[in-house]
Amino acid sequence: MFELFQVSRKFGVFPALEDITFNIMAGERVAVVGPSGAGKSTLIRLLNGTLFSTTGEVRVLGQRLDQLSPQALRQVQSRVGTVYQQFHLVDNLRVVHNLNAGHLNRWSLTKSLVSLIRPMDVQGAFNALEQVGIPEKLYERTDRLSGGQQQRVAIARVLIQDPEAILADEPISNLDPELSKEVIDILVDLSVCSGKTLFCSLHAIEFALSNFGRIIGLRRGRILFDSAAENVTDEMIKSVYRG
Amino acid sequence: MQKTLGSIAVDTTQEVPQRPAFINRRMMWLVIFIGGVIWALWESGIFQNKMVNTGGLALGGRFLSASLNPDLSGEFLLLTLNATLTTLAFAVIGLFLSVIVGFFGGVVVSETWIKSYTIARGDQELPILVRGLWLGLRWILVVFRSIHEVIWALVFVAIVGLDPLSAILALAIPFSAIIAKVFSEIIDEANHEPLYALLNSGISPSKAFLYGLFPLTFTDMLSYSFYRFECAIRAAAVLGIVGVGGLGYQIFLSLQTLKFPQIWTLLFALFLLNGLADLWSSLLRRRLGGDIRCGGSCVDVEAVHASQTSADPIYQDRVVRLSIIFAALLVPLSFWYLSPDIGKLFSARTIQNMVVVGQSAFPPNFTVFSLNEWIDLSKITIAMSLLAVAFAGISGLIFSFPAANNFLLSGGIFAAGSQNGTSQFLGTTVLVLTRGILLVLRSIPAPIWALLLLFVIFPGVIPGALALGIYTLGVLGRLVAEVIENLDERPLTALKSQGASRAGVFTYGALPPTYPRFISYLMYRWEEIIRATVIVGLVGAGGLGRSLTELLSSFDYQAVFAVLIVFIGITFIVDMISSSTRKTLRQS
Repeated sequence: MFELFQVSRKFGVFPALEDITFNIMAGERVAVVGPSGAGKSTLIRLLNGTLFSTTGEVRVLGQRLDQLSPQALRQVQSRVGTVYQQFHLVDNLRVVHNLNAGHLNRWSLTKSLVSLIRPMDVQGAFNALEQVGIPEKLYERTDRLSGGQQQRVAIARVLIQDPEAILADEPISNLDPELSKEVIDILVDLSVCSGKTLFCSLHAIEFALSNFGRIIGLRRGRILFDSAAENVTDEMIKSVYRG
Repeated sequence: MQKTLGSIAVDTTQEVPQRPAFINRRMMWLVIFIGGVIWALWESGIFQNKMVNTGGLALGGRFLSASLNPDLSGEFLLLTLNATLTTLAFAVIGLFLSVIVGFFGGVVVSETWIKSYTIARGDQELPILVRGLWLGLRWILVVFRSIHEVIWALVFVAIVGLDPLSAILALAIPFSAIIAKVFSEIIDEANHEPLYALLNSGISPSKAFLYGLFPLTFTDMLSYSFYRFECAIRAAAVLGIVGVGGLGYQIFLSLQTLKFPQIWTLLFALFLLNGLADLWSSLLRRRLGGDIRCGGSCVDVEAVHASQTSADPIYQDRVVRLSIIFAALLVPLSFWYLSPDIGKLFSARTIQNMVVVGQSAFPPNFTVFSLNEWIDLSKITIAMSLLAVAFAGISGLIFSFPAANNFLLSGGIFAAGSQNGTSQFLGTTVLVLTRGILLVLRSIPAPIWALLLLFVIFPGVIPGALALGIYTLGVLGRLVAEVIENLDERPLTALKSQGASRAGVFTYGALPPTYPRFISYLMYRWEEIIRATVIVGLVGAGGLGRSLTELLSSFDYQAVFAVLIVFIGITFIVDMISSSTRKTLRQS
């Protein structure tokens, strides 16, 4: 699904990621952990094609993203869904439209436009919302929802997009512990039920250990460890977070 | 029904919620607006009469081709320079006075000030007289605001004569009223905790304002003052048409004698002056972190707050500091250049004129027109403004996106995915071109536009509406482009990263957050357009404005006063509709 070989990314002279190499198979659930500034978000952006590596190869679904035409890149991107830390929804749209944005790479322009006036595929949007537990919010304005509810809308949008892999960039860092657990449960469950690959960056190690099969430890742009969850020791965790 | 994910328990027998009614309050406004525009088109006679004056096409062509050889003789260049400096000086002094008056006016008419006094008096009700005075002052500001600069100029020319003083006062009065309104809104929207803390410890309201409130509102006020500078330049150019000098006056003269090469020299000077003013103001406002407010008599306080996040005080920023010094130098220089005869304001002759004009205006004479005539004139004025709004609205939507620097350039909302040189070059070209066009459109005063349009269109509502619409497009396009440049990028990134097409990113990510701001700016501009129907009326575009000119030239001041009263009434109605539309937009 995702193959990275000796990937580095610099912002100016600052190296955000250095010499990253790993493979993620279809259906795997991987958490990448590390302190703020470790390069987790940069890594996610390399995987969804909103950023290209400075050196090295990034392959998604077998294709090198930096060598694709814009058209082909969009094809690949439509098969990878992303959930963000700050939800990235359009505030003043109704929930149903934010959900239908997940259809955009399938719908024609006319259909997209008509749907903004008279929502289409309401049933699909409702089903997706039902799966994340807030079906009654279908026609609510998005900025009227709480943070936890907005994150569920963002996940439901990915459900509608129906990608083969889901990237989640610190999906719970703006939520309280209770909600965090629910959101992680939804993501993991989604991956288990549908066999979708899940690649999730997390600040908190506890959620990673209990929910993901494989953990990658990132610190200052380098991989410190990449191992099965049961083999992760306190020593390894300390090495990632030490001051 | 599908199963739910995660550990949430949910009643899966729930029904799909009912689709919200298609006809909501927003829809209602839209239908009313479309109906209004159709009515206005009917009223304008576009269906009944011939519009295009084919006989004038040759003249129009000659005008356009003259743009390639403007009059560059030394003598005329000197005249142009003088006219440019005059316009600049009008704007500087007019604005300088307005900011001072507007500042004190804004403090006094703010709710916060009245409340502070109540607190300082130990929560005792203020005497009725004070309250009455306060309300009266607010109303006076509304009236001052709703009369256009040009009308003020005509009044002052009658009183003081063709002196720079007339232009300065004509600019300063409505501008003071607008600035006072905006400053009072800034004060009322600020965080009041520090102020109340000081008041409750027994400090007098003035001192409490000084320490507890002004530091919070200073950036917003400074930012807005510099935005008004752009408006002041444009207003100063319009004032020329009543004969008080400056670029507008010279263009008007050259137009009457059809000296096209001269007109172009003057127009280029106008573009340059406006371009520099806009550049300075937008650079500075970006430094101040303040969002822009719409032009005219308005402020969008809810959507707008200067970010006070930077750790350093803003006056330590070099650009800000230099700008303040430069502005402080401009004021005495402008006074020196114009050397207005301030003593004249208090001379016996002026006072005598004032008494004469005042006496001859009272009482207002409404019988000059029959009721039907009044209704017809008002209908034409409203129709003209509606058509102008429709034109500026539709074309503004098309122009403002390409004029935003985050639209076509690489990484922009509508940028082609590949980042090759050609598409970048194309993007830059479109950006510079649309911005240039918008600058030209707003630099030329609306009455000049009307006169130019009269080359090829028969006089009537349509050229007036077009002139106002074209000018408004120039202002609106730029304001909305700045809104687009400040859009939240995150939803756009999310849509791009899921592989949505450019059109998809645009319609689902960029359009929805832009259009409420767009419509509220458009509504604010409508208030401005209604005021400005008077000045295109001056060049014969019909409606109340035209009657006003005719009555003014026959010195029938009683009838002029009556027309002004009706006009202010219409302005009030438009203000009310505009503010309730904006309210609906905010709520749904």
